[in-house]
Amino acid sequence: MSKVYIKSAGLIPVGEHWNKSLTDLMVEASLNALKGQDGVKIDRIVVGNMMSGYLNNQEHLGALLASALGMKGIEALKVEAACGSGGMAVHEGYISVKSGDYENVLVVGVEKMKDADTQVLTKALAMAESADFTQVVGASFISLNALLMRMYMNKYNVQEEFLDYFPVIAHKNAVTAAHSQFKKAFTLEDVKRSPYLAEPIRLLSSAPSSDGAAALLLSSKPSDVEILASEVSTNELMISQRENPLKFEATEKAFKKAVEKAEINPSSVDFLEIHDAFPIVAALSLEAMGYSAEGRAGFDAANGKYNLDGDLPILTFGGLKARGHPVGGTGVYQIVEAYMQLTGTAGKNQVQGAKLGVTQNVGGVDTTSVVHILRKVS
Amino acid sequence: MIPIAYWRNRKLYTRLIGSRCKRCGAEYYPPVKVCKKCGSVDLEEKEMPKTGTIISYTKLTEPPVDFKDYSPIYLAMIRLDNGVTVLGQIADAESEEIRIGMRVMATIRKWTEDGQNGIIYYGYKFKII
Amino acid sequence: MLYSMRLNSAILGYGAYVPKYRISTEEIARMWAGEGSGPNRMKAVASYDEDALTMAYEAASIAMKMANYPEIQAILVGSESKPYAVKPMGSILSDIFGFNKILGVDLEFACKGGTEAVQMISGMITSGVIKYGLAIGSDTAQGRPADDLEYTAASGAGAVVLGQPNGKEIARITHSVTYVTDTPDFWRRPKEHYPMHLGRFTGEPAYFTHIMSSVKLLFEETGFKPSDFNYAIFHQPNPRFPVEVGKRLGFKEEQLKPGLLNDELGNSYSANTLVALSAVLDVSKIGDRILLASFGSGAGSDSFVIEVTSKADDDDYIPLRERLKNYVEIDYATYSKWRNKIIR
Repeated sequence: MSKVYIKSAGLIPVGEHWNKSLTDLMVEASLNALKGQDGVKIDRIVVGNMMSGYLNNQEHLGALLASALGMKGIEALKVEAACGSGGMAVHEGYISVKSGDYENVLVVGVEKMKDADTQVLTKALAMAESADFTQVVGASFISLNALLMRMYMNKYNVQEEFLDYFPVIAHKNAVTAAHSQFKKAFTLEDVKRSPYLAEPIRLLSSAPSSDGAAALLLSSKPSDVEILASEVSTNELMISQRENPLKFEATEKAFKKAVEKAEINPSSVDFLEIHDAFPIVAALSLEAMGYSAEGRAGFDAANGKYNLDGDLPILTFGGLKARGHPVGGTGVYQIVEAYMQLTGTAGKNQVQGAKLGVTQNVGGVDTTSVVHILRKVS
Repeated sequence: MIPIAYWRNRKLYTRLIGSRCKRCGAEYYPPVKVCKKCGSVDLEEKEMPKTGTIISYTKLTEPPVDFKDYSPIYLAMIRLDNGVTVLGQIADAESEEIRIGMRVMATIRKWTEDGQNGIIYYGYKFKII
Repeated sequence: MLYSMRLNSAILGYGAYVPKYRISTEEIARMWAGEGSGPNRMKAVASYDEDALTMAYEAASIAMKMANYPEIQAILVGSESKPYAVKPMGSILSDIFGFNKILGVDLEFACKGGTEAVQMISGMITSGVIKYGLAIGSDTAQGRPADDLEYTAASGAGAVVLGQPNGKEIARITHSVTYVTDTPDFWRRPKEHYPMHLGRFTGEPAYFTHIMSSVKLLFEETGFKPSDFNYAIFHQPNPRFPVEVGKRLGFKEEQLKPGLLNDELGNSYSANTLVALSAVLDVSKIGDRILLASFGSGAGSDSFVIEVTSKADDDDYIPLRERLKNYVEIDYATYSKWRNKIIR
């Protein structure tokens, strides 16, 4: 079995790319990742994407990208795991390199969301849960998270504002991130003044819709950053079917497996890129990984633990909330950002002395969780 | 919504037909083919109780496109009296102050319709009692 | 030849459903006249997710529970606001209640579709063709904005579960007659959203002529006179007509009063007299006799003799007037949104 390294990485700024197509986004991110890699022969392309069929009338993204990059003949495919599609694509790239059958694999995560009407997008995102039993009753994806957040607030007697520290942290970090969608800091008051989209989730506590693509070149050849572990776990598809909906079992299991595989001590992790689609997802993710006690993640955030200069920085470039959330791209963005941290190229967002990073990308409400552990090669 | 998929599930949607494991007695809505508790594949149809308790709720101001005419909609997780949790809308919620712990009863309302000339989709919603 | 049925069917359960929302006629008048009100104080308005089918289900559920869910063999639904022009409510309700080897069909005769269902199912039961049937009247009646009808055209549903008398029935239907003519007082052409009517012509030649003819036929057939009845229910297009027709036929106000609901609910068309029947059965005593006469524009009237034989056996049942206390008033904007009066 081979070890898996990140040979190079590339991304494009997250935002509203009115003049760029789905293909343009993928090609641009790929070319950025492949800059200076002229002699490298790529053996496989994996594209992570959730909604291109529904939003862009386009499937078959593997062949599409291979063709657009002038690489016809190469093995190429798309993987989908809702909002976890990007992380899952990296996982797919990881296991192909690890198997020894492929030396160099290009992984691209992409979503082109801004061409779609908001309500159509709302429907598309709800496809992460059951068509027959979630979508039929009118539930949107955000409403499922709102149900969890209300349950959480009720169970742990937590005020909404403690959870809303997560978007405040995200926006603060995004101000200095070149590729972030929103370079504007928010106060807790700003968040509280924004309207509810699905009580108790507000406009400013909800990840945006975005266009974006990020790419990684994975290789079995030693390089600056090694992927120590790439683990995936699943939970019940529907939150209503879970015995304890406030337990992110998929993240808990994927993280546990990854920590065992990587043989690390979770307390030695220098930074975390978590899936902060909504504050409740950030909180339950941190609790599932054991970084906060149950019901305490919001308080830890309020106390500065998760700030860029805190004990355990999270969302170092703004996370889903402020860097932006191009759904199928997000999981790849997280790993590109971890790569930047570990190679000391994070600029003003640099976590000083970062050697070990964790990324967590989920599809659905922790229905699929993909956890990666990355280490700076010394 | 997909008319034929709706037709396939119409009794589930209007009568809350779920399933019960004949081996361990576990009950499910929606129905399952494999028992999640004991792995048995020997399950039977079981109509769910029509009363339950709100365990969480939200008011949704931007529903998916099929439901835009009905905005805002009030969505809840309901623990039915047999312990099974279902997701559903609260009917006649406009004038109510919804709280966790409220008792509800299932009724049938329009979920949505495919415009003026399409199928009307009827299904369960919960009324506060 | 006289159309007259000697019936022997039993009411095993009854239920009325009125949506939670009301609009005051002052609010409607504010919109179109600037001031004033309609003949009634309020009317019941179905919510955005309700229609004749969902209300039929609600009313039928109450009646079915009271009757302890017998094996229904016919579901007839009277309505002039069917959710589908083509596709019956009877079959949808058959599936919902879990009876498929049945007659499930819809009827339409303006405001008397519901009593037609009662009459036809009672006939099938009397003849022994079926044992149990469900008769429903349900409407989300629409009045054209600014039309006089808008003050009264309301929503509601009434249902009765009918069966063969078994000694435990709530009431027996012993007789029914119908009187019908071609009278163009009110109509709606296919694909039209709102009905048309001829104003005051809907009164004397239509409402009064048909109900009085029907009730007089019933008296001739049965030998009963107004004093033989404890209660009388007449179709209620407004608060005044049922009182007036009762007076002309020789009934006293106290016989009418328990069933009078138009002032607070408006006219729920096919459901109208069946909702009133629920209110009357809620207060009637064993041995009471009830006269019920519907009116359907176009025009015709069904009248019935109903004899109360025992009290309902359903601990959970809440009398209609008790339930009506819990209502919420809405404004014209909400009414317009919910009842599809906004062009999008």
